[in-house]
Amino acid sequence: MSVGANKKAGWFVKGTILVVCIIWLFPTLGVLVTSFRPAAEANTSGWWTTLTKPFDTAQWTLENYRAVLDANGFNNALLNSLAVAIPATVMPITMAAFAAYAFSWMEFRGRQVMFVLVVALMVVPLQMALIPILRLYNGGAELFGVTVFPDLDLNGTFLGIWLAHTAFGLPLATYLLRNYIGSLPSSIIESAKIDGADHFTIFTRLIVPLSVPALAAFTIFQFLWVWNDLLVAYVFLGGTRDNRVVTIALQMLSGSRGQDWHLLTAAAFVTMALPLAVFFSLQRYFVRGLTAGAVKG
Amino acid sequence: MSPNGDKEMTMRMRRLLIPLFAFALVAAACGDDDDAGGDGGDGGDSRDTGRVVLMTAMEPEEVDAVQKVLDDLINSEVDYTAEVEAAGNFEEQLQIRAEGGTLDLAAVPQPGAVRQLAADGSIVALEDLGFDIDELEELFGEYFLSLGEYEGKHYGMPTNINLKSMVWYPKDDFDAAGYEVPETWDELIALSDQIVADGSSPWCVGFESEGATGWPATDWMEDLVLRTAGVEVYDQWVNHEIPFDDPAIKKAAEYFGEILFTDGYVLGGAAASADLAFGDAPGPMFQDPPGCWLHRQASFINAFFGNFAEGLEAGVDYDWFPLPPIDKDGTLFAGEFTVVGSDRPEVKDFLERFIDEAVQCAMGADEASSRISPNINVGPDCYANDILADASVVLTDALENDTGRFDASDMMPPEVNSQFWTGMIEYVRGGPSVLDKVLADIEAAWN
Amino acid sequence: MTDGPVQQITPTEPARSGAERVLRLLGAVGVLVGLPLLVRWAFDFTKSRDANRLAIVGVAIALGVLGVFALFWLMDQIVDRLPRAWRETVRPYVFVGPALVVLSVFLIYPVVNTILISFKDRRGDRWVGLDNYEFVFTDPSMLRSLRNTAMWIVVVPAVALVVGLLFATLADRLQRGESIAKSVIFLPMAISFVGAAVTFRLIYSYRPEGFGSNVGVLNAIWTALGNEPVAWLTLRPWNNFFLMVIMIWMQTGFAMVVLSSAIKAIPDEIIEAARIDGATEWQVFRHITVPSILPTITVVTTYMVINALKVFDIVFVMGAPENNGTEVVAERMLTWFFSRQNQGYGAAVAVVLFIAVIPVMIANVRRFRAEEAIR
Repeated sequence: MSVGANKKAGWFVKGTILVVCIIWLFPTLGVLVTSFRPAAEANTSGWWTTLTKPFDTAQWTLENYRAVLDANGFNNALLNSLAVAIPATVMPITMAAFAAYAFSWMEFRGRQVMFVLVVALMVVPLQMALIPILRLYNGGAELFGVTVFPDLDLNGTFLGIWLAHTAFGLPLATYLLRNYIGSLPSSIIESAKIDGADHFTIFTRLIVPLSVPALAAFTIFQFLWVWNDLLVAYVFLGGTRDNRVVTIALQMLSGSRGQDWHLLTAAAFVTMALPLAVFFSLQRYFVRGLTAGAVKG
Repeated sequence: MSPNGDKEMTMRMRRLLIPLFAFALVAAACGDDDDAGGDGGDGGDSRDTGRVVLMTAMEPEEVDAVQKVLDDLINSEVDYTAEVEAAGNFEEQLQIRAEGGTLDLAAVPQPGAVRQLAADGSIVALEDLGFDIDELEELFGEYFLSLGEYEGKHYGMPTNINLKSMVWYPKDDFDAAGYEVPETWDELIALSDQIVADGSSPWCVGFESEGATGWPATDWMEDLVLRTAGVEVYDQWVNHEIPFDDPAIKKAAEYFGEILFTDGYVLGGAAASADLAFGDAPGPMFQDPPGCWLHRQASFINAFFGNFAEGLEAGVDYDWFPLPPIDKDGTLFAGEFTVVGSDRPEVKDFLERFIDEAVQCAMGADEASSRISPNINVGPDCYANDILADASVVLTDALENDTGRFDASDMMPPEVNSQFWTGMIEYVRGGPSVLDKVLADIEAAWN
Repeated sequence: MTDGPVQQITPTEPARSGAERVLRLLGAVGVLVGLPLLVRWAFDFTKSRDANRLAIVGVAIALGVLGVFALFWLMDQIVDRLPRAWRETVRPYVFVGPALVVLSVFLIYPVVNTILISFKDRRGDRWVGLDNYEFVFTDPSMLRSLRNTAMWIVVVPAVALVVGLLFATLADRLQRGESIAKSVIFLPMAISFVGAAVTFRLIYSYRPEGFGSNVGVLNAIWTALGNEPVAWLTLRPWNNFFLMVIMIWMQTGFAMVVLSSAIKAIPDEIIEAARIDGATEWQVFRHITVPSILPTITVVTTYMVINALKVFDIVFVMGAPENNGTEVVAERMLTWFFSRQNQGYGAAVAVVLFIAVIPVMIANVRRFRAEEAIR
């Protein structure tokens, strides 16, 4: 661990951080407090009024959370969300890591163009892709009589939604990882090549361990995005009892009645729990000096 | 054997295995015929999955209530499983599924959308499914069924109906204050004046509804067109046989303006109503004393009252009266058409059972549901909720006597519908002076 | 056996009994045949509806995760079998192959599809040439959306970047509590768009006089100061900024996390040396930290600009964009394509979006070239 980084955590630093944190927390605090209030009160008075009399137990309730967790096959939805989120995170990261390494450290024709194309695809709004992809899943595609995409009937299957999420997450993943991998000291890679390692070994044994902070960062983002996603899940998996994921189950809790603050806030917190756990557990990978050691070694 | 030797052996085995493995995978994938069983079929044919999915825009309690009925009365008797699904952002999802080819059934609230889907070739005609149109006309009335007609065939099966021309009021306070239910428009205006004179505000109006803000105002307009110009003009208006800025329509809008812009009529003022969520609007009626006394809204608003106070009783704490006639009369209603995307046998079987009296009656029996059956054979005693029962009587009468008309904006093309919403908000905020421009803009959207 | 090096150059077949070899062969065949069948069965199992959900989910996760690893390993093994001359030319394509295939099918094909539709009529049937584009650049609502989007792509990335960078730098100094501080800023990212919309609708909530007290913080403070409640979300043009606040709140966490890991990668020696030389903290920040992480800053900025270009949910859910003057390009695209069922207009707006990203890409390409030149 370095010394210099910890030298100046003075009052200015601590104060600024505290202020920013409070500002950032404030909206969430409102949501948290509201999620514990009974329906009638949540709809008629501001949440801060509860803080003046925090021990008045009549104004708190666990009913909202009970309603959310009991609702609509929640356990099933939780399992479905996991079944979607885990592979839909691992797949894009893996593909992107390999591609990022290739774009950074391998020589081949057209790599600049390909990379820019991949990154440019970040701008494509995924809604534009939904109908074409659904048609592909449902009937395959032919070009001049040749089957270009086999008719796999992927609609409503996990593989279908994994592929969709992978595609939507690849541009950003490749972009982030290439930036990181490309900035690794070239001396490491050169010396590994001299030792006779091929690209695959360099990648798996050297690059991946060194890229852990970037991989961890992207894992978090992609997991969060997939976990919180509603649209893609609904289009490719559907909203039936077997297939629905957590976000859909919770949306069906309050429908179009956007004024059900008590339910919506409880639902928002329930969905947050797991992604936050993922975030906290991956936090320890954001460690200073990972590459410093490598340079010396 | 030395370790090196073993290692060599492993490596050689691997060299052999890998290409064979790869080949086998490829062979498995290519030789794989879809064992889900469905074959190509026509466009829009979902796979034979032993499951029939009905896509809807229902509220969650209703979804649960309907699913329960489906489980009890249908799933228990057949080998497929019927499921009802609620979609947020229904129009978008419907379009995606229909064009993507994965639609089984959808309960569509807008006849315009039904016709559009038919034009695209995404849905199957009822005649092609084997339904007898004459029999269906007996069940639902010719008008309702004709709304889903396209190029001579019918594409939408009526499966829900709700009443729109209702004015809600807080009955206990109303009676206590000595007010009487008005039976003509003039009496309604007199009542409003009376309430203002007594120091309160008569009307609560709220039009905000996220992306669909403005739709409650279109309901007002439609009710008023029916009551000022009558059903024939209404039909011409819907079919664009008269322009949107026709004097007859403008007259209806001016009556609307009478309610909106007369000083003191609307609690909070007309302009504020554009920002007030439609679900919040009835709230003040349940205050003590009531902040407002009259709220014109469709039957589904009943389910929202629980947000404002506990233990409210229909017929005691609140009740409704039909919006009074002016020069003419009519009943405004809206509803739902179930369309079929896939002509698999179980889909047709499901639809037959779904419109059957037994199933329709069972759905009304659940308190959480605010569905009313368009099947005229379903009587008022099927409804657990008295309000719904009374409304169903009015509706059955309207269907049988052809005095009922479907929500106009739902029948117009989507961009006109959208502009209608937007235009109404402009009117509400801008006042009578912008009316001509608003009507002209909506007329322009027809092109 | 004999010594190592000889062994490696000329491997000799170790003696094995015939029975052993047959068994091994059978085992190999069994795996060859069994493994694909197993994969097929696992895949179908995940489609079944009656089995225990936990089992289905477990199998699904295993399939997905192992599948992708196996794919790459397998391809690499195949490349190793190729003639030596071809190996290193083919290998890069194996590395980028899966990504490119997935992207071509799922993103590039829809993009091409969209571009084609942008020249067709509202149902996507007849060709109408440039009519749709004419609409895009003349309709008042579209022009408003272009103006608004221009604001979004400047304000949101700028604020999020500055706040994220400063916070990452300061938090790096903390001895304890760094994790917690960063988690607080990151928390909004864990909330879905729907959750964020709920949060801010609660804050901006508006009730006119007489409809009960205001449950929204902003109006509560405003009325406590003696004013009438305000419908913040319909207050032109400030409502745009109220919406931008939401995105900033959500996205700063991303900027902070990425910048934080970049800051941590700066070698301590450099910073130490500068401090010893008497540089102030601000000078260290300006002349060492920022230049060192400039590539990452570009990446973060690019991502945020593109995200701001694509913003839709926030604008759509928080009220009627056309009435409130909060339209943005992506929202217009989806409104025209889906709500108003005009594929031609929707696709044309989408193409405008694609074109808008070109300057961003050019900036990135320049940066890559500069980077690679240094290396």
